[in-house]
Amino acid sequence: MSKPHFDREHHVKKATGIGDPQCFKGEAGPAKFKVGDKVRIKDLPDIFYSRTQVYTRGAPATVAELVYESPAAEDESWDNTDNPVWFYSVVFKQKDLWPDYPDTFANDTVETELPERWLEPL
Amino acid sequence: MAEKHKPAPMVDEVSEFEVLEIAVRELAIEKGLFTAEDHQHWTEYMHTLGPLPAARLVAKAWLDPEYKKLAVKDGVKASLDVGVDWVNSMPTKFGTPSDYCNLRVLEDTPKLKHVVVCTLCSCYPRPILGQSPEWYRTPNYRRRLVRWPRQVLAEFGLQLPEDVEVRVEDSNQKSRFIVLPVRPEGTEGWTEDQLAEIVTRDCLIGVAVPRPGKTVNDPRPVRPAINPYKH
Amino acid sequence: MSSATRQKVMRHLDIVKQLQPSLHVETHAPAPDQVDNEHYRAYTRMSHDVGGEPDVPITWEEKEEEVWEHNTFVTCEVLAWRGVWNAEERRRRQNVDVGQTQYLGLPYYGRWLLTAARILVDKQYVTLTELSDKIDEVKKRYE
Repeated sequence: MSKPHFDREHHVKKATGIGDPQCFKGEAGPAKFKVGDKVRIKDLPDIFYSRTQVYTRGAPATVAELVYESPAAEDESWDNTDNPVWFYSVVFKQKDLWPDYPDTFANDTVETELPERWLEPL
Repeated sequence: MAEKHKPAPMVDEVSEFEVLEIAVRELAIEKGLFTAEDHQHWTEYMHTLGPLPAARLVAKAWLDPEYKKLAVKDGVKASLDVGVDWVNSMPTKFGTPSDYCNLRVLEDTPKLKHVVVCTLCSCYPRPILGQSPEWYRTPNYRRRLVRWPRQVLAEFGLQLPEDVEVRVEDSNQKSRFIVLPVRPEGTEGWTEDQLAEIVTRDCLIGVAVPRPGKTVNDPRPVRPAINPYKH
Repeated sequence: MSSATRQKVMRHLDIVKQLQPSLHVETHAPAPDQVDNEHYRAYTRMSHDVGGEPDVPITWEEKEEEVWEHNTFVTCEVLAWRGVWNAEERRRRQNVDVGQTQYLGLPYYGRWLLTAARILVDKQYVTLTELSDKIDEVKKRYE
């Protein structure tokens, strides 16, 4: 019978002594966004897997930090590391996420990390 | 190890979970995917973990402004000073698979309070904080914290003034987070050891704040195990 | 909050809260005309994506760990150490691929464990016959 072959060595070779996501540093190319940029989270199809939470979709946010380069979760969850991208820490106003969030606490925020593909300039 | 254990007296049959766990582990070893020694090494590594290094990181940051800057800028580098090497401390030498190697230290101020959740699973900085508590893993905490943070924090006994920004950190990718709380009043002149004692696990997740004299998490019900693992 | 996407997101969160694991009296496989796009999105949702769903306050508990829970966690980490999977693949399989019923119905480490068994079979390191025989053999040790 035919059996699939899975490369069990590629990650250990790449990351040993370096760490992950450090092992993808320099592989994503130029970053499209910079700290302070206003962005909106796209509502892309999330068939089968994503780590971009539904509650963030369509909401405006501000880029707080360029955190690291890494394959997007959608790809890495099938062990594909061919296309590392920039990950951004983005901050939402709670009022922009939840219509019923009290005005009294208008300063409250949520921060999370998203890959470049999910962000569009605002 | 599970091979030696007998079903607890109150249970009349071994659980399907116990059976499947043994089956999977033994098959993986028989097929050469890993060795029994690998499994043992990881268990021994787990025994070394707990919240103390993170508490010490906070105490050091309270005492040394330069170290605080380093911790906020590069949590992985700052971890080295409290004995945690995010890449090499573990048997892999490439970090733990599930925790990655990108610790971020979230600095509270009198006007900013951080609290951490992973709405998608239960991402948690095990190498510096140990295993996550049960409540942190519940869908309930994950559903609500991101939308009703002040209500959830109040349930943990933390009421925050209007003028304090509550920032929920949704730990969803490869970064892991600890909170660096504001150093409380009444701790002037304290040593690093004294300060570290009041930085509990709950303070490091952000559902509590440190207070002089408070060296343990708030008491909560503990759900007993049928066949408890002895750490 | 005027954008159509934000309205969709809010309606989605309301709908998925009604998706619950259940031991039903009958199953349903609706005709295509009975599933609009809103319901398609709800039924094909990623079960791990729960942020913002309404829920009621509960008692926050600590918990003792079962022996099998500890061993399951270690097995999953060691499988990744030895390259059988990476943590992202593990998270996908145990938090999404399991589906909503097992996601909400089983203990936290129950999902880890089923997923560890599944990866051995899916990647053909073990046949399903071998796994089944092994489960049967382990059970007999306790008879």
